Amino acid sequence: MKLRILVADDHELVRRGLCTLLQAHEDWEICGEAVDGREAVEKAKQLKPDVIILDVGMPNLNGLDATRQLCRQNAHYKVIVLTITDTDQVIREALDAGARGFVLKSDAARDLVAAVEALQRNRMFFTPRVNDMVLAGFLDKGQTTSTNMVPELPKLTPREREVVQLIAEGKSSKEVASLLNLSTKTAETHRSNIMRKLGLHSIRDLVVYAIKNNIIQVQLPVGTETRPQSPIV
Amino acid sequence: MTMTVRILVADDHPIVRHGLKTLLVGDPTWEVIAEAEDGVEAVEKASRLHPDLIILDVTMPRMNGLEACRRIRKSVPECEVLIVTQHDSPQMMREALDAGARGYVVKSNAARDLLAAVAAVSQHKTFTILDHRAASKV
Repeated sequence: MKLRILVADDHELVRRGLCTLLQAHEDWEICGEAVDGREAVEKAKQLKPDVIILDVGMPNLNGLDATRQLCRQNAHYKVIVLTITDTDQVIREALDAGARGFVLKSDAARDLVAAVEALQRNRMFFTPRVNDMVLAGFLDKGQTTSTNMVPELPKLTPREREVVQLIAEGKSSKEVASLLNLSTKTAETHRSNIMRKLGLHSIRDLVVYAIKNNIIQVQLPVGTETRPQSPIV
Repeated sequence: MTMTVRILVADDHPIVRHGLKTLLVGDPTWEVIAEAEDGVEAVEKASRLHPDLIILDVTMPRMNGLEACRRIRKSVPECEVLIVTQHDSPQMMREALDAGARGYVVKSNAARDLLAAVAAVSQHKTFTILDHRAASKV
């Protein structure tokens, strides 16, 4: 029986590249594609894929929160997170969310097949930097160095994180309500709870929070050639 | 006799180059002869290989696509440039055309627009479409 893979990335060009790469493996098939985390969660429910590949920076529901939702639904889901950055915070969030694979997009052409093969054998796959972090965490018994510390912030519920992403993407309370099947009043209540919990006073503050916490990602302008890698598209 | 269009694909992300090549397979008269992962490599390969058309990303390390476009148009003027970028902006499109590009496609629409763009640009026709439908033939 073929290994069934669900691929989620908001950029069709990237999905094409990923699917072509994976379809070259004759024992694998792409059972579905999704353009954001919300669609990925829905399709996973319907299609029951063996492996789910999720981009981190997707609209409506990002890949990390989609991973959290998927792994809460079914702890056996095998999720590979694709990301443009391997900062400590993203790695930690991906692992905490339940991802079993972590691949940099810039290395996907090289590492993705190996990652899927590893998950197929019920193993995990991480980039060398993630492996180092996991090992360091094991040796330190979970302690991190001060430079790696992520500021302690009040915990948001999964629903509140979804609302943060949608507001940070510019959606109104009415649009948030419609996307999440809530009443407008409930969406507004979530919004004010979030602002209170986080001690934020404006939408601008909320957008900054969402960027800092990898809930949304921003497109950088041209002229940033000194960075090692540009955003994927 | 149908002439083959020789294409150079320049993007810093291998998976995107993969996606672009997959789309280009759609026409048997097109041949991807080389790839480049930044502007410097694109300029060097353009000078050496004289492709008919170059697909250039804008945001690349070492040298961005606009600068690469200017240099390629100067050193290999017969080679047409198609910019394929995430920047859905009229200003960026104008800069690309000023740099000598013949076409401009937004990456999020590449699956829809790339083939038409390559067909037009390879025949020295201008092709520009932005995502937000401020589309214009220039």
